[in-house]
Amino acid sequence: MSENKLHSSEKVQYETSVSKILKRFPERQQPFTTSSDIEVKRLYDADSAESKSSYPGQYPYTRGIQPTMYRSRFWTMRQYAGFGSAAETNKRFRYLLEQGQTGLSVAFDLPTQIGYDSDDIMSEGEVGKVGVAIDTLKDMERLLDQIPLDKVSTSMTINAPASVLLCMYIAVGEKQGVPLEKLTGTIQNDILKEYIARGTYIFPPKPSMRLITNIFEYCQKFVPKFNTISISGYHIREAGSNAVQEAAFTIANGIAYVDAAIESGLDVDSFAPRLAFFFNAHNNFFEEVAKFRASRRIWAKIMKEHYQAKDPKSWKLRFHTQTGGSTLTAQQPDNNIVRVTLQALAAVMGGTQSLHTNSRDEALSLPTEDSARIALRTQQIIAHESGVADTIDPLGGSYYVEALTDEMEEKINEYLEQIKEIGGAVQAVEEGYMQREIHQNAYEIQKRIEKEEEIIVGLNKFKLDEEVNPDLLKVDEALEKAQIESLQSIRKERDQKAVDKALSALKENAKTPDANLIPNILDAVRVYASVGEICNVLREEFGEYTGL
Amino acid sequence: MVRKIRVLVAKPGLDGHDRGALIIAQALRDHGMEVIYTGLRQSPAQIAQAAVQEDVDVIGLSSLSGAHRTLFPKVLEELKHRDAIDIPVIGGGVIPSEDIPYLIDQGIRKIFTSGSSTEVLADYIQELIDPKTKPIEKPKKIAHIGIAVENIDNSLSFYTDALGLELEAVEQVETEGVKVAFINLGESRLELLEPLNDTSPIRRFLDKKGEGIHHIALEVDDIKTRLEQLIKQGVKVINEKPKPGANNSQIAFIHPKAASGVLFEICQHEKSDN
Repeated sequence: MSENKLHSSEKVQYETSVSKILKRFPERQQPFTTSSDIEVKRLYDADSAESKSSYPGQYPYTRGIQPTMYRSRFWTMRQYAGFGSAAETNKRFRYLLEQGQTGLSVAFDLPTQIGYDSDDIMSEGEVGKVGVAIDTLKDMERLLDQIPLDKVSTSMTINAPASVLLCMYIAVGEKQGVPLEKLTGTIQNDILKEYIARGTYIFPPKPSMRLITNIFEYCQKFVPKFNTISISGYHIREAGSNAVQEAAFTIANGIAYVDAAIESGLDVDSFAPRLAFFFNAHNNFFEEVAKFRASRRIWAKIMKEHYQAKDPKSWKLRFHTQTGGSTLTAQQPDNNIVRVTLQALAAVMGGTQSLHTNSRDEALSLPTEDSARIALRTQQIIAHESGVADTIDPLGGSYYVEALTDEMEEKINEYLEQIKEIGGAVQAVEEGYMQREIHQNAYEIQKRIEKEEEIIVGLNKFKLDEEVNPDLLKVDEALEKAQIESLQSIRKERDQKAVDKALSALKENAKTPDANLIPNILDAVRVYASVGEICNVLREEFGEYTGL
Repeated sequence: MVRKIRVLVAKPGLDGHDRGALIIAQALRDHGMEVIYTGLRQSPAQIAQAAVQEDVDVIGLSSLSGAHRTLFPKVLEELKHRDAIDIPVIGGGVIPSEDIPYLIDQGIRKIFTSGSSTEVLADYIQELIDPKTKPIEKPKKIAHIGIAVENIDNSLSFYTDALGLELEAVEQVETEGVKVAFINLGESRLELLEPLNDTSPIRRFLDKKGEGIHHIALEVDDIKTRLEQLIKQGVKVINEKPKPGANNSQIAFIHPKAASGVLFEICQHEKSDN
C-alpha cells in the first residue's frame, strides 16, 4: 500500500470516529471563528495548506525578514513611556535602560501631539497627562539628558507635528556632538491613521502628506538611519477593527504614502527601506501570528511587483508590535499580565523587530514603575527562558498557521482591492469608509461581550464580587503650572528676533508647495521657537482638519 | 407621541479615543434615544452650549486622557453659567475609582468605567430622565407553595380532611414529569407535586431531601420583563425564558443560590380571571 493511500484511509477512519463521537458529545460552539470571522476548522492537515517552500530572509519573507532572526539578536525591547515633565520622564528612561531595555520610546502629552503649547487654552487639564509635555528644545534637552543619542535608538509617537519633534531630536544630537547620520530611531509620522482612528490630527490631508514627504526627502539625504514613518495598524485595531481590517487598512495607508512620495519625485528605493510598520497583538494567538506573516508577504509582493522596487530592503516589512491595550480589563488587573504574555508571544512567533508589552494597570491609568518593570520582564522571560527564539519561525509549516496565513492574505487583499476602487486610502479616509467599517466591528464586539457570546475573563465571566484597587500612578496636578512658567521664562530669555525671523521664513516657504519645510523648522527649533508657535504658522497656511 | 430622550455624548479636551463614545451613542440610539455626538476636541463651553441649544435631557462625557478631574467639573461650571445645571451629567472612560467620589462630589451624577454594559447605562438614563415609562410591578402575591410528595393520594387527606381545604383539580404536566394537585387557600394555593417518572426533578428532590416544601411561586404581571430585569441585575436564574406551566400559566425558576437556598418560581397566569 502506498503512503498516500494509507494516509487517506486513516483520514476516513478518523472522520468516521469523529462523526460517531459528535452524536454523543456535541462541540462547544458552532462554528468556531477567529476575530476576523474566519472559520476555524476542527483539524488542519496536509490537504489544508498548499506547501509553499520559503526561507527567512528571502522574498516574500513570510518566515521573517532576516536569515537568522532572533538567533543573532533578540527583538528590541522598547517600552513606550512618558508622563509629566521632561525631567521626570528622563528619570524613567534611565531607569528602563538600567533594567535592560534596549531602545527608548517617547510618549508625548496631547497638547504636544496636537501642536498646542502648554499655556494654550486648549491644553487645560491635559499637560503631561498621557505623555511628556514638550514645548521647546529646552524640554527636549531635559528629556534626553545624559542619554547618548549615538548609542540609543529612540522611537517617538508623534504624528501631525512629527517634523517639529524630529528637528528637536536632531538639534539635541547636534548639541551632544553626534553626527546626523549616526542618529537612529523612528517617528510615527502616520497621519492617515490619525484621521481614521487616533484623532491627533492638525492639518487637512493634503498639506499633511506634503510634510511627510518632506521628511522622507530630508532624512534620506541627512539622517539616513532614521525610520521616517511607522505605518500604524495599532490604533486602528484599538479603535475596534478586527485583525484583517488592521492589516488591510495599514497596508492601504502604506500604499498611499509610497504613492505620495513617488509623486513628489522621489525614487522608490530612496525612501522605501526606511518605512516601518507598527502592529497590534491581540488574544487570538494563531490569527495574530498569521496576520504578521501574511502582511510581510503582501507588502513584499506590492513593493516588488507593483512599484518595481529593486532594493530588497524596500520589499521587507519591518515592524514594531505593541500588545493590545483594549484587551486589558480594569477588573482583576493582574490577569492582564497573562494576556500580555500571550500577545507578546504571538508577536515573537510572528517575527517582530521590536516589542512593547503593556502594563497590567493600563486600563486604569498610566503604569506605575512596578507594573512597567513586570511588563519588561515578561519580554525578557520569553526571550531568555522559553526557548521560542532559538529557531526561526517555529510555527512555519504548521498546517493551521500556514492555512490561516493564506486565508488572511486573501481577505486582506480583498479589502485592498475595495480601497483601490474607492480611489485609494486618502480618498477612503475622506469618505469615512474605514472609520465606518471599524465602528461597525467595534459595536459588534461590544454586543457579543454583553450577550456573553464572547467571554472576557473577569469581565463577563469569572467575576469577583469585590475588586481590589491597585496603586496607580498619579501625575502631579501642579505640573501644568510649572510647565507653563518654564515655557514663559524661555520665551523671555530667547532671542525673539531670531525666532520671528525663522517663523516668517517658514511661513513664506509654506506657501510654496514644492519647498521642503524641514530646514526652516530646524532653524526655528534651534532658536527655541515652540511646538505651538511653529504649528500655528502652519495652521495659518494649511488650515485645520475638523473631522467628518 | 412621547418625546424621545435626548442625549449629548461629548468628548471634552484633546483626547482622540472615541471608540467608547461612538459605541455608547449607537447603543443609546438602539434603545430608542436621540443622540447628538459632538465629535472630538470640544471645550467645556462648547459642550454646555451644545447641550442648551440641542435641548438635551442628559450629557454623557467620555475621557481617556486623564483630564477628567479638570474638564468634567468645568462642564458643570459652564452649564451653571447658562442656567442649565439641571441637565444631569454622567461620565465614563479611563477613570480611576479613587477619582469617582471627587467627581460625584463636584456634581457628576454617575461614572461608568471600563467594562460597564451599555444595557445598564441605557437603563440608568431611562430611570434618571423618565422613571415612569418602565416601572416593573412588584410581585403581587404568593401564587402557590409547591410541596413535594411521594404519592398525592396518600398525602391529600391531611389537606382536604384534617384542614378541610378544597381540592380544585389534579393535572399532569408531562413536560415536567409531574402530577399536580391544586388545593385552594385564600388567594393562594398549595400544590402537591408527585413525580411521574425517575427523571422528574421532583424525584431528584425527594431522593435528596425527602418530602417537604419544594418551591414558592410568586405571581407577577409581566413575567418576560421581570425575568429580563432579574438576568440584567445578575440574579442567577434556571430558566432564561418563560415556559408553559400548569394551569395555563407561564413560569420560570430562579436559582436557589440567588435566594438563600429557597427555590422561587415566578409565574404569570392568563388574564382571564374567570
